[in-house]
Amino acid sequence: MPREIITLQVGQCGNQIGMEFWKQLCLEHGISKDGILEDFATQGGDRKDVFFYQADDQHYIPRALLIDLEPRVINGIQNSEYRNLYNHENVFVADHGGGAGNNWASGYHQGKNVEEDIMDMIDREADGSDSLEGFVLCHSIAGGTGSGMGSYLLETLNDRYSKKLVQTYSVFPNQMETSDVVVQPYNSLLTLKRLTLNADCVVVLDNTALNRIAVERLHLSNPTFAQTNSLVSTVMSASTTTLRYPGYMNNDLVGLLASLIPTPRCHFLMTGYTPLTVERQANLIRKTTVLDVMRRLLQTKNIMVSSYARTKEASQAKYISILNIIQGEVDPTQVHESLQRIRERKLVNFIEWGPASIQVALSRKSPYVQTAHRVSGLMLASHTSIRHLFSKCLSQYEKLRKKQAFLDNYRKFPMFADNDLSEFDESRDIIESLVEEYKACESPDYIKWGMEDPDHLMSGEGNAAGMVDPNLPV
Amino acid sequence: MESNSSVIAPTTPRWNSDRPFLTGRFHQETKASSLNSETKGFSMDFFSSPEVEKAIGCYHASVQELIVIDDLLSALVGIEGRYTSIRRIDGKEAKLTFQVDASMDLALQELAKRIFPLCESYLLIDQFVESRSQFKKGLVNHAFAAAVRALLLDYQAMVAQLEHQFRLGRLSMQGLWFYCQPMMGSMKALSSVIQKASSNDYAGVDVLNLLQSQAKAMAGDHVVRSLLEKMSHCASSAYLVMLERWVYEGVIDDPYGEFFIAENRSLQKESLTLDYDAKYWRQRYSLKNSIPSFLADVAGTILTTGKYLNVMRECGHNVQVRVSENSKLQNFGSNHHYLECIKTAYDFASGELLTLIREKYDLMGKLRSIKHYLLLDQGDFLVHFMDIAREELIKKTEEISVEKLQSLLDLALRSTAAAADPCHEDLTCCVERSTLLKRLSMLKDLEISKAISDIDLEEPASITGLETFSLSYKVQWPLSLVISRNALTKYQLIFRFLFHCKHVSSQLCGAWQVHQGVRAANLKGTSISRSSLLCRSMLKFINSLLHYLTFEVLEPNWHVMNNRLQSAKSIDEVIQYHDLFLEKCLRECMLLLPELLKKMEKLKLICLQYAAATQWLISSSIEIVEPQSGSGKELKCRTSSKALKFTKNASVTDSILKFEKEFNAELQSLGPILSSRSQAEPFLTHLAQWILGVGNE
Repeated sequence: MPREIITLQVGQCGNQIGMEFWKQLCLEHGISKDGILEDFATQGGDRKDVFFYQADDQHYIPRALLIDLEPRVINGIQNSEYRNLYNHENVFVADHGGGAGNNWASGYHQGKNVEEDIMDMIDREADGSDSLEGFVLCHSIAGGTGSGMGSYLLETLNDRYSKKLVQTYSVFPNQMETSDVVVQPYNSLLTLKRLTLNADCVVVLDNTALNRIAVERLHLSNPTFAQTNSLVSTVMSASTTTLRYPGYMNNDLVGLLASLIPTPRCHFLMTGYTPLTVERQANLIRKTTVLDVMRRLLQTKNIMVSSYARTKEASQAKYISILNIIQGEVDPTQVHESLQRIRERKLVNFIEWGPASIQVALSRKSPYVQTAHRVSGLMLASHTSIRHLFSKCLSQYEKLRKKQAFLDNYRKFPMFADNDLSEFDESRDIIESLVEEYKACESPDYIKWGMEDPDHLMSGEGNAAGMVDPNLPV
Repeated sequence: MESNSSVIAPTTPRWNSDRPFLTGRFHQETKASSLNSETKGFSMDFFSSPEVEKAIGCYHASVQELIVIDDLLSALVGIEGRYTSIRRIDGKEAKLTFQVDASMDLALQELAKRIFPLCESYLLIDQFVESRSQFKKGLVNHAFAAAVRALLLDYQAMVAQLEHQFRLGRLSMQGLWFYCQPMMGSMKALSSVIQKASSNDYAGVDVLNLLQSQAKAMAGDHVVRSLLEKMSHCASSAYLVMLERWVYEGVIDDPYGEFFIAENRSLQKESLTLDYDAKYWRQRYSLKNSIPSFLADVAGTILTTGKYLNVMRECGHNVQVRVSENSKLQNFGSNHHYLECIKTAYDFASGELLTLIREKYDLMGKLRSIKHYLLLDQGDFLVHFMDIAREELIKKTEEISVEKLQSLLDLALRSTAAAADPCHEDLTCCVERSTLLKRLSMLKDLEISKAISDIDLEEPASITGLETFSLSYKVQWPLSLVISRNALTKYQLIFRFLFHCKHVSSQLCGAWQVHQGVRAANLKGTSISRSSLLCRSMLKFINSLLHYLTFEVLEPNWHVMNNRLQSAKSIDEVIQYHDLFLEKCLRECMLLLPELLKKMEKLKLICLQYAAATQWLISSSIEIVEPQSGSGKELKCRTSSKALKFTKNASVTDSILKFEKEFNAELQSLGPILSSRSQAEPFLTHLAQWILGVGNE
């Protein structure tokens, strides 16, 4: 089947959110816990084959690989009611089952050792698809397996499947509470480098913001992982609706991403979703019109990435691109009016160096999932304020690095052997330049950013070569 | 009965001409014989005695009176008497007049002359009745003649009664005059009507109209008016039977071509799928010039009612309006009952047909399916199709194998969401030979043809399937009424435009991916990063254009049409709304604005050129560095076998800047055009907002 997407869920967090994601997809496509199409799921028009394939007995199997270095979460999945959904050949748990000990280097190194096993699985899945479009990686960047092994996988995929897209859903750690993972800043930094260099698109899922949303918007006093994960699965499934429910545009991943991502490295996306509910909580049902939804999507409090920007910096922050995926019964004539209204009110601050506007994709809603809201919306946006998240990661790293704390754990592994910590420095440089690039995007002359001599480049060289002036023979 | 091949109607039996006394034609012959044999009349006079033919003047006045009465009684049924004769006056209109012997008593003469008009009317009417009873004169004439004949029977009965009185010796000349009085007016009026009718040789509708208008003109004379109304009632009864069959069954039962609706049998319903002008629906049945005045207001309704019934019959769907006594059309009098009947029949037919087309033939489903494929509302199949058919499509149009494309299309349809739609099998491929602009100019009903100059129409040296590929859709009767060739052509035009935009977009996505491939190299301040921004601008442009086309034009207009179709009352409304939708979409998609269309084509061309050059641009500025142990550390990717290094290449920089300049100049030149034309075409403001962006305000 065309334009398939293979999902890799790596590590504890990756498998947890992956599990939620598949649950949601099954619900939306009317697929039972065993992968069998429900009797009521007779309304066609959806594309299950992007994320599922059918076994010989017609039951649907997710194109998913479950990878972890410790068995707890995966065992949990295999003992749950969804145990028959996955292809058991696609589950990889390290033999020793000892995990990566929250050490990026351990995860990375173990990844290298089991590369063959995992690549075999990936190759098998890839061969089973008609025209593979790309991979989706679910992981967290703070732990050991998701970050370390995830990083290794990113590099390998980039190498082996260089023509395929790699999109990640990366969970960023909660910065508000003290983490039990003290080396989190190291892990984050090293993973961020791979996310910058080896992924085509990173959807940032910031646990800090997810928690905040759960507390503020959903009025949960102490949100559990399950609750924040359901937010994540909502976002993940919503961001794939245009692939699963075909419409006028964005029917392939590349089209979706290409319109959002301006330059190769600035590929980190923020998300926002409205209206938010979690299970068992029939929230106050609000009026949902297209305008309401679009307006709410632009509110910072609904954005699933926390901004660490100071007020002055925040006012400088600009949207590079926005895609609003609106689901539900929408009067298409409202879309234009809503955009017009947002434009008039100047609710969006766009970059100045190029054309930009809110793109809207209208998508169908699953007929099998009942919601109290007529319309819901997901925003995928490239916003320069994301640099503050990276700056925060950098500053935390610097703090730790200055103290030379916990580096011994890393030195045990080949990459950092012989006290060679250049990988840290290199990663730091790359993240710093990423932050700089995002910052440059805020200025109107970003186009000339970093050009040694823009004037020379613009006029001197061009005219001298006689190629810009059409009147001159070349 | 003899049949004559040149006349549709059966010929009149021969005895009609052979036996004048049987048919009353002897009256006509009277003139001939009375001309050449003045004395020898065709009298059947009882009193005639062999010695006869003394001048009447030699009798006593009282005798004269008896003779004159006797003669007049004959004259009243059109027979010459001894002293009254028929003379034919040859003039513009041949006219028969009665004459009386000049030697008659003057008083009697005077009275006789007063009665003569009645006799003359009778002659005229009788003759009319006979001549109109011939087959070829048509049903209306037959009916009219029959009614008049009935009237004449009454008249003859009256004459017979008068004669009886006369025999009893109770009838005086004054008495005769007195009794004739009531008939005079009616017969005169009737004969004047008949005279008009026969001198113009009216048939069918004209007769009806004549009767009606005369009845109206005689409104002051109650007797005459009611007589004429009765006549027109009788005359139209046959016509109304025809009308009934038409509005209740959709059948034209009209052997003499009198009905006001004409059928053009040469137009077959199959032509709808081929004929761009969609003549079938408009011209298969049409109104003739002469329409009965009492139906003039509802003629259109009547036409469509029958048309609708016809469509249903052609579909093999048997409908019959329940004809109750109430819905009989025969009594159309002044109470306008017939109007209600026609209205009821129309409502029934249009309702039934609409239900049939909507439900049995699932019009909306079909339209939705067309929207999925031709308007790309469910565009996933196209993504796949473009992937697998690109190789075939980049060939020149003559070299493309349509069969191959068709099989690829089928493959694409089967493996995407379209598979669930049973209608997807009606989709076929076609590759046209000309550019979109040229195709548009060839369609005469679009006003664009004037606006395109010949220079624009010159075919580019090579046009590929990507520019000319189009989908087509098999539409079956009766849906072809709505989705006619004309409508389908418009869908195709929109599709071609969308398809090409999609192609450009997917090429640019490819270029974007090429840029993504080199992200490992430090690109800060290089021409590559410049290029990636140009790529973004182009993507932004093409996506905005697509966005505008789909979400600002197609979808809202579709939405409006959909709502209208739900509430449409008749198939004609459906056709109208659907055509309106297409017209609006064509216009708002700029397909009717060649100036803008050309700009768009130009911009797309630049995008395509850029996308094609990207691979070269990137690969000539990026060097793959084989890993060397220990060196090149800042670029080295640890696991990767290779590293990327940017090298400066002046010609790459030049061409990127050139593309950028050309693209921006072209894009900026759109601004003034869009804003200057947005007065007349407000939708262009939307387009401008999309394409030129809002960040630059």
